[in-house]
Amino acid sequence: MSGMPVAAVQALQPLTVLVAAPGVSGFIATAEARMQGRRGPRVLQPYYDLAKLFRKESLAPVGASAVFLAAPVLAMVCYLTVPLLIPVLTSYGLPLGYMGDILGGGIILSLASFAVAVGAAETGSPYAQLGSSRSKTFAAITEPVMLFVVFAVALVTGTDLPYAMAATVRSGADQILRPSHLLAAAALFLVILYETGRIPVEAHRSTNEFGMIEEARSFEYSGPYFALLTWGSAMKQLILYTILINVFLAPWGLSSTRDASDVVLAVVLLVAKALVIGLVVAVIDNSFAKLRLFKITEFVAAAFLLAVLAVFTLYLGGG
Amino acid sequence: MRPVPSIYAGTTNAIAVLVLLTEFAMLRTALLRSQVRLYAVQSLLVSALAVVVAAVRDVPELYALAALSLALKVVVVPWLVLRLLRDADAEIAGSGTLSVASEVLVALLVGGLGFFAVDQLHVSSRVLPTTALGLAVAVVGVSFVLMIVRSDVVSQAVGFFSLENGVSLASLVVAAGLPLILEVAFLFDLLVAVVVFGFLMRVHHSRTATLSTAALTRLRG
Repeated sequence: MSGMPVAAVQALQPLTVLVAAPGVSGFIATAEARMQGRRGPRVLQPYYDLAKLFRKESLAPVGASAVFLAAPVLAMVCYLTVPLLIPVLTSYGLPLGYMGDILGGGIILSLASFAVAVGAAETGSPYAQLGSSRSKTFAAITEPVMLFVVFAVALVTGTDLPYAMAATVRSGADQILRPSHLLAAAALFLVILYETGRIPVEAHRSTNEFGMIEEARSFEYSGPYFALLTWGSAMKQLILYTILINVFLAPWGLSSTRDASDVVLAVVLLVAKALVIGLVVAVIDNSFAKLRLFKITEFVAAAFLLAVLAVFTLYLGGG
Repeated sequence: MRPVPSIYAGTTNAIAVLVLLTEFAMLRTALLRSQVRLYAVQSLLVSALAVVVAAVRDVPELYALAALSLALKVVVVPWLVLRLLRDADAEIAGSGTLSVASEVLVALLVGGLGFFAVDQLHVSSRVLPTTALGLAVAVVGVSFVLMIVRSDVVSQAVGFFSLENGVSLASLVVAAGLPLILEVAFLFDLLVAVVVFGFLMRVHHSRTATLSTAALTRLRG
Protein backbone atom coordinates (compact mmCIF):
# COMPACT_ATOMS: atom_id res chain seq x y z
CA MET A 1 0.00 0.00 0.00
CA SER A 2 1.39 3.38 -0.95
CA GLY A 3 0.70 6.74 0.60
CA MET A 4 1.48 8.16 4.01
CA PRO A 5 3.41 6.10 6.57
CA VAL A 6 1.17 4.42 9.14
CA ALA A 7 2.77 6.37 11.97
CA ALA A 8 1.82 9.65 10.29
CA VAL A 9 -1.84 8.59 9.95
CA GLN A 10 -1.73 7.44 13.57
CA ALA A 11 -0.32 10.78 14.72
CA LEU A 12 -2.90 12.66 12.66
CA GLN A 13 -5.76 11.19 14.73
CA PRO A 14 -4.96 13.00 18.03
CA LEU A 15 -3.73 16.02 16.05
CA THR A 16 -7.06 16.35 14.25
CA VAL A 17 -8.93 16.23 17.54
CA LEU A 18 -6.45 18.64 19.15
CA VAL A 19 -6.75 21.23 16.40
CA ALA A 20 -10.45 20.89 15.52
CA ALA A 21 -11.90 20.66 19.04
CA PRO A 22 -11.94 24.39 19.97
CA GLY A 23 -13.44 25.15 16.54
CA VAL A 24 -16.32 22.74 17.14
CA SER A 25 -16.98 24.37 20.53
CA GLY A 26 -16.86 27.79 18.91
CA PHE A 27 -19.26 26.69 16.19
CA ILE A 28 -21.77 25.42 18.77
CA ALA A 29 -21.53 28.69 20.72
CA THR A 30 -22.08 30.74 17.54
CA ALA A 31 -24.97 28.56 16.34
CA GLU A 32 -26.61 28.78 19.76
CA ALA A 33 -26.28 32.56 19.82
CA ARG A 34 -27.71 32.90 16.29
CA MET A 35 -30.73 30.79 17.28
CA GLN A 36 -31.34 33.16 20.17
CA GLY A 37 -31.12 36.15 17.81
CA ARG A 38 -27.74 37.20 19.17
CA ARG A 39 -24.65 37.76 17.07
CA GLY A 40 -22.57 35.54 19.29
CA PRO A 41 -18.80 35.05 19.38
CA ARG A 42 -16.71 34.27 16.31
CA VAL A 43 -16.37 30.60 15.44
CA LEU A 44 -12.64 30.98 15.98
CA GLN A 45 -13.04 32.73 19.35
CA PRO A 46 -11.93 29.69 21.44
CA TYR A 47 -8.56 29.73 19.61
CA TYR A 48 -8.04 33.39 20.48
CA ASP A 49 -9.05 32.67 24.08
CA LEU A 50 -6.52 29.84 24.28
CA ALA A 51 -3.76 31.99 22.74
CA LYS A 52 -4.49 34.73 25.26
CA LEU A 53 -4.57 32.35 28.23
CA PHE A 54 -1.24 30.78 27.25
CA ARG A 55 0.40 34.23 27.45
CA LYS A 56 -0.98 34.97 30.93
CA GLU A 57 0.67 34.13 34.24
CA SER A 58 -0.86 31.43 36.40
CA LEU A 59 -1.41 31.33 40.13
CA ALA A 60 -2.00 28.41 42.46
CA PRO A 61 -3.92 28.70 45.74
CA VAL A 62 -1.86 28.66 48.91
CA GLY A 63 -1.48 25.13 50.19
CA ALA A 64 -2.31 23.41 46.93
CA SER A 65 0.14 20.62 46.23
CA ALA A 66 1.77 19.58 42.95
CA VAL A 67 -1.34 17.53 42.16
CA PHE A 68 -3.18 20.78 41.46
CA LEU A 69 -0.69 21.67 38.73
CA ALA A 70 -0.29 18.12 37.40
CA ALA A 71 -4.03 17.53 36.95
CA PRO A 72 -4.61 19.61 33.78
CA VAL A 73 -1.51 18.13 32.16
CA LEU A 74 -2.56 14.57 33.00
CA ALA A 75 -6.06 15.25 31.68
CA MET A 76 -4.62 16.60 28.44
CA VAL A 77 -2.40 13.52 28.06
CA CYS A 78 -5.47 11.30 28.52
CA TYR A 79 -7.44 13.24 25.90
CA LEU A 80 -4.52 12.88 23.48
CA THR A 81 -4.37 9.11 24.11
CA VAL A 82 -8.03 8.25 23.50
CA PRO A 83 -8.06 9.30 19.80
CA LEU A 84 -5.40 6.64 19.21
CA LEU A 85 -7.89 3.95 20.24
CA ILE A 86 -11.01 4.95 18.31
CA PRO A 87 -11.70 5.22 14.57
CA VAL A 88 -11.11 8.94 13.99
CA LEU A 89 -9.85 8.90 10.41
CA THR A 90 -9.48 5.33 9.18
CA SER A 91 -11.85 2.41 8.77
CA TYR A 92 -8.99 -0.08 9.34
CA GLY A 93 -7.38 -0.54 12.72
CA LEU A 94 -4.11 1.35 13.13
CA PRO A 95 -1.30 -0.40 15.07
CA LEU A 96 -1.95 1.44 18.34
CA GLY A 97 -5.72 1.16 17.84
CA TYR A 98 -5.73 -2.27 19.48
CA MET A 99 -4.06 -1.08 22.69
CA GLY A 100 -7.48 -0.82 24.28
CA ASP A 101 -11.14 -1.51 23.56
CA ILE A 102 -14.16 0.69 24.31
CA LEU A 103 -13.76 0.01 28.03
CA GLY A 104 -10.09 0.97 27.79
CA GLY A 105 -11.00 4.27 26.17
CA GLY A 106 -13.69 4.77 28.81
CA ILE A 107 -11.19 4.20 31.62
CA ILE A 108 -8.78 6.76 30.17
CA LEU A 109 -11.59 9.31 29.80
CA SER A 110 -12.66 8.72 33.41
CA LEU A 111 -9.04 8.99 34.54
CA ALA A 112 -8.89 12.45 32.97
CA SER A 113 -12.07 13.58 34.69
CA PHE A 114 -10.87 12.02 37.96
CA ALA A 115 -7.60 13.96 37.69
CA VAL A 116 -9.47 17.24 37.17
CA ALA A 117 -11.77 16.45 40.10
CA VAL A 118 -8.80 15.72 42.39
CA GLY A 119 -7.11 18.91 41.22
CA ALA A 120 -10.26 20.89 42.04
CA ALA A 121 -10.51 19.22 45.46
CA GLU A 122 -6.92 20.39 46.16
CA THR A 123 -8.09 23.99 46.24
CA GLY A 124 -9.95 25.55 49.13
CA SER A 125 -12.69 26.89 46.85
CA PRO A 126 -16.10 25.57 47.92
CA TYR A 127 -17.51 25.86 44.39
CA ALA A 128 -14.67 23.87 42.83
CA GLN A 129 -15.08 21.18 45.47
CA LEU A 130 -18.85 21.18 44.97
CA GLY A 131 -18.30 20.69 41.25
CA SER A 132 -15.85 17.85 41.68
CA SER A 133 -18.06 16.10 44.23
CA ARG A 134 -21.15 16.45 42.01
CA SER A 135 -19.40 15.34 38.86
CA LYS A 136 -18.16 12.16 40.58
CA THR A 137 -21.60 11.46 42.11
CA PHE A 138 -23.36 11.69 38.76
CA ALA A 139 -20.53 9.89 36.97
CA ALA A 140 -21.29 6.92 39.22
CA ILE A 141 -24.88 6.77 37.94
CA THR A 142 -24.05 7.34 34.26
CA GLU A 143 -21.44 4.59 34.35
CA PRO A 144 -24.03 1.72 34.27
CA VAL A 145 -25.54 3.29 31.14
CA MET A 146 -22.14 3.23 29.41
CA LEU A 147 -21.64 -0.38 30.52
CA PHE A 148 -24.95 -1.45 29.00
CA VAL A 149 -24.08 0.35 25.75
CA VAL A 150 -20.80 -1.59 25.74
CA PHE A 151 -22.70 -4.83 26.44
CA ALA A 152 -24.99 -4.11 23.49
CA VAL A 153 -21.96 -3.51 21.25
CA ALA A 154 -20.34 -6.69 22.53
CA LEU A 155 -23.49 -8.73 21.83
CA VAL A 156 -23.78 -7.28 18.32
CA THR A 157 -20.18 -7.70 17.22
CA GLY A 158 -18.81 -10.40 19.50
CA THR A 159 -15.95 -8.06 20.50
CA ASP A 160 -15.83 -4.67 22.13
CA LEU A 161 -13.50 -3.02 19.66
CA PRO A 162 -14.86 0.23 18.26
CA TYR A 163 -13.46 -0.62 14.80
CA ALA A 164 -15.51 -3.84 14.74
CA MET A 165 -18.70 -1.99 15.65
CA ALA A 166 -18.11 0.61 12.94
CA ALA A 167 -17.53 -2.14 10.37
CA THR A 168 -20.75 -3.88 11.50
CA VAL A 169 -22.78 -0.70 11.08
CA ARG A 170 -21.27 -0.15 7.63
CA SER A 171 -22.15 -3.69 6.55
CA GLY A 172 -25.78 -3.00 5.73
CA ALA A 173 -29.08 -1.29 6.40
CA ASP A 174 -30.30 -4.25 8.46
CA GLN A 175 -27.61 -3.46 11.04
CA ILE A 176 -28.72 0.16 11.29
CA LEU A 177 -32.44 -0.48 11.61
CA ARG A 178 -32.20 -3.07 14.37
CA PRO A 179 -33.67 -1.59 17.56
CA SER A 180 -30.66 -2.53 19.68
CA HIS A 181 -28.43 -0.32 17.56
CA LEU A 182 -30.87 2.62 17.59
CA LEU A 183 -31.41 2.32 21.36
CA ALA A 184 -27.72 2.02 22.18
CA ALA A 185 -26.91 5.05 20.00
CA ALA A 186 -29.70 7.08 21.64
CA ALA A 187 -28.47 6.10 25.13
CA LEU A 188 -24.92 7.07 24.20
CA PHE A 189 -26.16 10.43 22.92
CA LEU A 190 -27.87 11.13 26.26
CA VAL A 191 -24.68 10.19 28.12
CA ILE A 192 -22.73 12.54 25.84
CA LEU A 193 -25.15 15.37 26.68
CA TYR A 194 -24.37 14.69 30.34
CA GLU A 195 -20.62 14.31 29.88
CA THR A 196 -20.21 17.48 27.84
CA GLY A 197 -22.30 19.52 30.28
CA ARG A 198 -25.10 20.38 27.87
CA ILE A 199 -28.57 21.54 28.56
CA PRO A 200 -30.86 19.13 30.28
CA VAL A 201 -28.04 18.61 32.80
CA GLU A 202 -25.95 21.74 32.96
CA ALA A 203 -26.00 25.14 31.28
CA HIS A 204 -22.80 25.40 29.26
CA ARG A 205 -20.73 28.50 30.09
CA SER A 206 -23.33 29.72 32.57
CA THR A 207 -22.29 31.93 35.46
CA ASN A 208 -24.60 30.43 38.06
CA GLU A 209 -22.33 28.44 40.36
CA PHE A 210 -25.12 26.50 42.03
CA GLY A 211 -26.14 24.81 38.78
CA MET A 212 -22.62 23.86 37.81
CA ILE A 213 -21.24 20.38 37.68
CA GLU A 214 -18.26 20.05 35.36
CA GLU A 215 -17.70 23.75 34.77
CA ALA A 216 -17.11 24.58 38.42
CA ARG A 217 -14.03 22.42 38.64
CA SER A 218 -11.78 24.83 36.75
CA PHE A 219 -12.58 27.84 38.96
CA GLU A 220 -9.19 28.13 40.67
CA TYR A 221 -7.08 27.65 37.55
CA SER A 222 -5.58 30.49 35.59
CA GLY A 223 -3.23 31.11 32.68
CA PRO A 224 -1.83 28.15 30.72
CA TYR A 225 -3.30 25.63 33.18
CA PHE A 226 -6.78 27.01 32.62
CA ALA A 227 -6.12 26.96 28.88
CA LEU A 228 -5.22 23.27 29.11
CA LEU A 229 -8.45 22.55 31.00
CA THR A 230 -10.71 24.39 28.53
CA TRP A 231 -8.88 22.86 25.59
CA GLY A 232 -9.18 19.46 27.27
CA SER A 233 -12.93 19.75 27.76
CA ALA A 234 -13.36 20.83 24.12
CA MET A 235 -11.31 17.77 23.11
CA LYS A 236 -13.38 15.50 25.33
CA GLN A 237 -16.47 16.82 23.57
CA LEU A 238 -15.05 16.14 20.10
CA ILE A 239 -13.79 12.70 21.18
CA LEU A 240 -17.27 11.74 22.40
CA TYR A 241 -18.86 13.12 19.21
CA THR A 242 -16.33 11.10 17.19
CA ILE A 243 -17.27 7.92 19.04
CA LEU A 244 -20.97 8.61 18.43
CA ILE A 245 -20.43 9.43 14.73
CA ASN A 246 -17.73 7.03 13.64
CA VAL A 247 -18.81 4.05 15.72
CA PHE A 248 -22.60 4.32 15.87
CA LEU A 249 -24.34 6.87 13.67
CA ALA A 250 -22.42 7.44 10.47
CA PRO A 251 -19.14 5.52 10.12
CA TRP A 252 -18.96 6.44 6.44
CA GLY A 253 -16.36 8.63 4.81
CA LEU A 254 -13.51 7.15 6.84
CA SER A 255 -10.34 6.60 4.86
CA SER A 256 -9.84 2.97 3.87
CA THR A 257 -6.35 3.58 2.46
CA ARG A 258 -3.26 5.51 3.47
CA ASP A 259 -3.46 7.94 0.52
CA ALA A 260 -2.97 11.50 1.65
CA SER A 261 -6.06 12.64 -0.29
CA ASP A 262 -8.29 10.03 1.39
CA VAL A 263 -6.97 10.92 4.83
CA VAL A 264 -7.48 14.65 4.27
CA LEU A 265 -11.01 13.97 3.01
CA ALA A 266 -11.64 11.92 6.19
CA VAL A 267 -10.48 14.86 8.32
CA VAL A 268 -12.82 17.25 6.51
CA LEU A 269 -15.75 14.83 6.75
CA LEU A 270 -15.13 14.19 10.45
CA VAL A 271 -15.24 17.89 11.20
CA ALA A 272 -18.36 18.33 9.04
CA LYS A 273 -20.17 15.47 10.82
CA ALA A 274 -19.11 16.80 14.23
CA LEU A 275 -20.55 20.21 13.27
CA VAL A 276 -23.88 18.54 12.38
CA ILE A 277 -23.97 16.88 15.81
CA GLY A 278 -23.02 20.23 17.32
CA LEU A 279 -25.96 21.85 15.55
CA VAL A 280 -28.32 19.23 17.01
CA VAL A 281 -26.84 19.89 20.46
CA ALA A 282 -27.31 23.65 19.96
CA VAL A 283 -30.99 23.09 19.07
CA ILE A 284 -31.44 20.96 22.22
CA ASP A 285 -29.66 23.64 24.26
CA ASN A 286 -32.14 26.19 23.02
CA SER A 287 -35.32 24.15 23.34
CA PHE A 288 -35.15 22.63 26.83
CA ALA A 289 -34.77 23.97 30.32
CA LYS A 290 -32.00 22.92 32.67
CA LEU A 291 -33.12 20.16 35.00
CA ARG A 292 -33.11 20.71 38.72
CA LEU A 293 -30.08 18.96 40.25
CA PHE A 294 -32.17 16.23 41.84
CA LYS A 295 -34.04 15.64 38.57
CA ILE A 296 -30.82 14.59 36.84
CA THR A 297 -31.38 11.05 38.12
CA GLU A 298 -34.58 10.99 36.01
CA PHE A 299 -32.62 11.99 32.94
CA VAL A 300 -30.06 9.27 33.63
CA ALA A 301 -32.86 6.76 34.33
CA ALA A 302 -34.18 7.46 30.81
CA ALA A 303 -30.74 6.80 29.32
CA PHE A 304 -30.43 3.65 31.43
CA LEU A 305 -33.83 2.47 30.18
CA LEU A 306 -32.73 2.86 26.54
CA ALA A 307 -29.45 1.03 27.11
CA VAL A 308 -31.05 -1.86 29.03
CA LEU A 309 -33.78 -2.23 26.39
CA ALA A 310 -31.03 -2.45 23.75
CA VAL A 311 -29.56 -5.46 25.55
CA PHE A 312 -33.03 -6.99 26.17
CA THR A 313 -34.03 -6.85 22.50
CA LEU A 314 -30.72 -8.44 21.59
CA TYR A 315 -31.36 -11.38 23.89
CA LEU A 316 -34.77 -12.07 22.45
CA GLY A 317 -34.89 -12.65 18.72
CA GLY A 318 -31.58 -10.96 18.00
CA GLY A 319 -33.24 -7.49 17.96
CA MET B 1 -22.56 -13.16 17.46
CA ARG B 2 -26.30 -13.24 17.06
CA PRO B 3 -28.15 -13.57 13.75
CA VAL B 4 -28.94 -10.21 12.22
CA PRO B 5 -32.68 -9.59 11.82
CA SER B 6 -33.89 -8.68 8.34
CA ILE B 7 -34.71 -5.06 7.49
CA TYR B 8 -38.42 -5.83 7.86
CA ALA B 9 -37.88 -7.44 11.29
CA GLY B 10 -35.63 -4.58 12.36
CA THR B 11 -38.16 -1.94 11.34
CA THR B 12 -41.13 -3.65 13.00
CA ASN B 13 -39.08 -4.27 16.14
CA ALA B 14 -38.04 -0.63 16.20
CA ILE B 15 -41.71 0.45 15.99
CA ALA B 16 -42.62 -2.00 18.75
CA VAL B 17 -39.76 -0.60 20.88
CA LEU B 18 -41.16 2.90 20.31
CA VAL B 19 -44.57 1.67 21.54
CA LEU B 20 -42.87 0.45 24.72
CA LEU B 21 -40.94 3.72 25.09
CA THR B 22 -44.15 5.79 24.86
CA GLU B 23 -45.52 3.59 27.64
CA PHE B 24 -42.48 4.48 29.75
CA ALA B 25 -42.93 8.14 28.81
CA MET B 26 -46.51 7.97 30.15
CA LEU B 27 -45.08 6.63 33.38
CA ARG B 28 -42.65 9.56 33.64
CA THR B 29 -44.75 12.49 32.54
CA ALA B 30 -46.34 14.67 35.18
CA LEU B 31 -49.01 16.45 33.12
CA LEU B 32 -52.30 14.63 32.57
CA ARG B 33 -52.69 16.31 29.20
CA SER B 34 -49.36 15.05 27.89
CA GLN B 35 -50.20 11.58 29.17
CA VAL B 36 -53.28 11.52 26.93
CA ARG B 37 -51.23 12.88 24.02
CA LEU B 38 -48.66 10.14 24.54
CA TYR B 39 -51.48 7.63 24.43
CA ALA B 40 -52.52 9.05 21.05
CA VAL B 41 -48.92 8.76 19.80
CA GLN B 42 -48.73 5.18 21.02
CA SER B 43 -51.97 4.27 19.24
CA LEU B 44 -50.63 5.94 16.10
CA LEU B 45 -47.51 3.75 16.32
CA VAL B 46 -49.61 0.60 16.69
CA SER B 47 -51.69 1.61 13.65
CA ALA B 48 -48.49 2.31 11.69
CA LEU B 49 -47.19 -1.12 12.62
CA ALA B 50 -50.46 -2.67 11.40
CA VAL B 51 -50.06 -0.84 8.08
CA VAL B 52 -46.45 -2.02 7.71
CA VAL B 53 -47.48 -5.62 8.41
CA ALA B 54 -50.45 -5.34 6.03
CA ALA B 55 -48.26 -4.01 3.23
CA VAL B 56 -45.27 -6.31 3.58
CA ARG B 57 -46.94 -9.54 4.68
CA ASP B 58 -50.03 -9.04 2.49
CA VAL B 59 -52.79 -9.15 5.11
CA PRO B 60 -55.34 -6.72 3.63
CA GLU B 61 -57.74 -6.96 6.63
CA LEU B 62 -55.15 -5.12 8.69
CA TYR B 63 -55.64 -1.95 6.63
CA ALA B 64 -59.25 -1.80 7.84
CA LEU B 65 -58.11 -2.47 11.39
CA ALA B 66 -55.44 0.23 11.18
CA ALA B 67 -57.97 2.74 9.86
CA LEU B 68 -60.46 1.89 12.59
CA SER B 69 -57.93 2.08 15.40
CA LEU B 70 -56.58 5.32 13.94
CA ALA B 71 -60.03 6.86 14.02
CA LEU B 72 -60.90 5.54 17.48
CA LYS B 73 -57.69 5.49 19.48
CA VAL B 74 -55.80 8.38 17.92
CA VAL B 75 -58.70 10.79 17.48
CA VAL B 76 -61.90 9.92 19.36
CA VAL B 77 -60.64 8.52 22.68
CA PRO B 78 -57.95 11.18 23.34
CA TRP B 79 -60.42 13.89 22.32
CA LEU B 80 -63.03 12.56 24.77
CA VAL B 81 -60.55 12.26 27.63
CA LEU B 82 -59.11 15.72 26.95
CA ARG B 83 -62.64 17.15 27.02
CA LEU B 84 -63.29 15.51 30.36
CA LEU B 85 -60.00 16.93 31.61
CA ARG B 86 -60.95 20.44 30.51
CA ASP B 87 -64.06 20.21 32.69
CA ALA B 88 -62.09 18.89 35.66
CA ASP B 89 -59.45 21.67 35.54
CA ALA B 90 -56.80 19.41 37.02
CA GLU B 91 -53.39 19.65 35.40
CA ILE B 92 -50.89 17.56 37.27
CA ALA B 93 -51.09 13.82 37.78
CA GLY B 94 -51.21 12.56 41.35
CA SER B 95 -47.62 11.88 42.25
CA GLY B 96 -46.99 8.20 42.64
CA THR B 97 -45.81 6.37 45.71
CA LEU B 98 -42.35 6.17 44.14
CA SER B 99 -39.97 8.74 42.68
CA VAL B 100 -39.82 8.87 38.90
CA ALA B 101 -36.40 7.22 38.68
CA SER B 102 -37.48 4.30 40.91
CA GLU B 103 -40.73 3.99 38.96
CA VAL B 104 -38.73 3.57 35.77
CA LEU B 105 -36.48 0.96 37.40
CA VAL B 106 -39.46 -1.02 38.77
CA ALA B 107 -41.20 -0.86 35.40
CA LEU B 108 -38.00 -1.97 33.72
CA LEU B 109 -37.88 -5.02 36.01
CA VAL B 110 -41.53 -5.87 35.31
CA GLY B 111 -41.09 -5.29 31.58
CA GLY B 112 -37.95 -7.42 31.56
CA LEU B 113 -39.81 -10.20 33.35
CA GLY B 114 -42.49 -10.20 30.64
CA PHE B 115 -39.84 -10.07 27.97
CA PHE B 116 -37.95 -13.12 29.16
CA ALA B 117 -41.12 -15.04 30.05
CA VAL B 118 -42.15 -14.81 26.39
CA ASP B 119 -38.72 -16.06 25.37
CA GLN B 120 -39.45 -19.30 27.25
CA LEU B 121 -42.74 -19.85 25.40
CA HIS B 122 -41.03 -20.37 22.03
CA VAL B 123 -43.86 -18.76 20.11
CA SER B 124 -43.03 -18.14 16.51
CA SER B 125 -45.14 -16.14 14.14
CA ARG B 126 -45.50 -15.90 10.38
CA VAL B 127 -45.89 -12.16 10.24
CA LEU B 128 -43.79 -10.58 12.99
CA PRO B 129 -40.62 -11.47 14.90
CA THR B 130 -41.00 -12.82 18.44
CA THR B 131 -39.24 -9.74 19.85
CA ALA B 132 -42.41 -7.77 19.11
CA LEU B 133 -44.43 -10.22 21.23
CA GLY B 134 -41.97 -9.81 24.11
CA LEU B 135 -42.25 -6.04 23.76
CA ALA B 136 -46.06 -6.29 23.73
CA VAL B 137 -46.02 -8.24 27.01
CA ALA B 138 -43.61 -5.65 28.41
CA VAL B 139 -46.07 -2.89 27.41
CA VAL B 140 -48.83 -4.72 29.29
CA GLY B 141 -46.56 -5.10 32.33
CA VAL B 142 -45.51 -1.44 32.34
CA SER B 143 -49.11 -0.27 31.94
CA PHE B 144 -49.97 -2.29 35.06
CA VAL B 145 -47.15 -0.51 36.90
CA LEU B 146 -48.57 2.81 35.65
CA MET B 147 -52.00 1.93 37.02
CA ILE B 148 -50.58 0.73 40.34
CA VAL B 149 -48.13 3.51 41.22
CA ARG B 150 -50.12 6.52 40.01
CA SER B 151 -52.83 7.72 42.30
CA ASP B 152 -55.18 9.56 39.96
CA VAL B 153 -58.12 8.44 37.87
CA VAL B 154 -56.78 9.75 34.55
CA SER B 155 -53.47 7.89 34.80
CA GLN B 156 -55.34 4.72 35.65
CA ALA B 157 -57.71 5.18 32.71
CA VAL B 158 -54.84 5.94 30.32
CA GLY B 159 -52.95 2.96 31.75
CA PHE B 160 -55.94 0.76 31.00
CA PHE B 161 -56.32 2.10 27.45
CA SER B 162 -52.63 1.64 26.72
CA LEU B 163 -52.90 -1.90 28.08
CA GLU B 164 -55.28 -2.45 25.18
CA ASN B 165 -52.57 -1.09 22.85
CA GLY B 166 -50.19 -3.72 24.24
CA VAL B 167 -52.77 -6.42 23.60
CA SER B 168 -53.32 -5.15 20.03
CA LEU B 169 -49.57 -5.33 19.49
CA ALA B 170 -49.51 -8.90 20.81
CA SER B 171 -52.46 -9.85 18.61
CA LEU B 172 -50.59 -8.50 15.58
CA VAL B 173 -47.81 -10.97 16.35
CA VAL B 174 -49.79 -14.05 17.36
CA ALA B 175 -52.88 -13.70 15.21
CA ALA B 176 -52.49 -11.11 12.47
CA GLY B 177 -54.97 -13.07 10.39
CA LEU B 178 -57.55 -13.02 13.19
CA PRO B 179 -61.01 -12.50 11.72
CA LEU B 180 -61.63 -8.80 11.46
CA ILE B 181 -64.90 -9.04 13.35
CA LEU B 182 -63.07 -10.20 16.50
CA GLU B 183 -60.57 -7.34 16.28
CA VAL B 184 -63.40 -4.87 15.86
CA ALA B 185 -65.11 -6.39 18.89
CA PHE B 186 -61.89 -5.68 20.84
CA LEU B 187 -61.99 -2.08 19.73
CA PHE B 188 -65.58 -1.66 20.82
CA ASP B 189 -64.65 -3.20 24.14
CA LEU B 190 -62.25 -0.30 24.42
CA LEU B 191 -65.08 2.13 23.70
CA VAL B 192 -67.09 0.59 26.54
CA ALA B 193 -64.06 1.03 28.78
CA VAL B 194 -63.79 4.67 27.73
CA VAL B 195 -67.43 5.27 28.61
CA VAL B 196 -67.03 3.52 31.98
CA PHE B 197 -63.82 5.37 32.82
CA GLY B 198 -65.28 8.66 31.64
CA PHE B 199 -68.25 8.09 33.90
CA LEU B 200 -65.94 7.12 36.77
CA MET B 201 -63.87 10.28 36.28
CA ARG B 202 -66.98 12.46 36.25
CA VAL B 203 -68.50 10.85 39.33
CA HIS B 204 -65.21 10.83 41.23
CA HIS B 205 -64.54 14.45 40.38
CA SER B 206 -68.02 15.59 41.32
CA ARG B 207 -67.88 13.77 44.67
CA THR B 208 -64.38 14.59 45.82
CA ALA B 209 -63.57 17.66 43.70
CA THR B 210 -60.27 16.05 42.76
CA LEU B 211 -59.01 13.39 40.38
CA SER B 212 -56.72 11.84 42.97
CA THR B 213 -57.68 8.45 44.33
CA ALA B 214 -55.96 9.23 47.62
CA ALA B 215 -59.29 10.65 48.81
CA LEU B 216 -60.87 7.22 48.48
CA THR B 217 -58.97 5.70 51.39
CA ARG B 218 -61.01 7.69 53.86
CA LEU B 219 -64.11 5.91 55.12
CA ARG B 220 -67.30 7.71 54.31
CA GLY B 221 -70.55 7.42 56.17
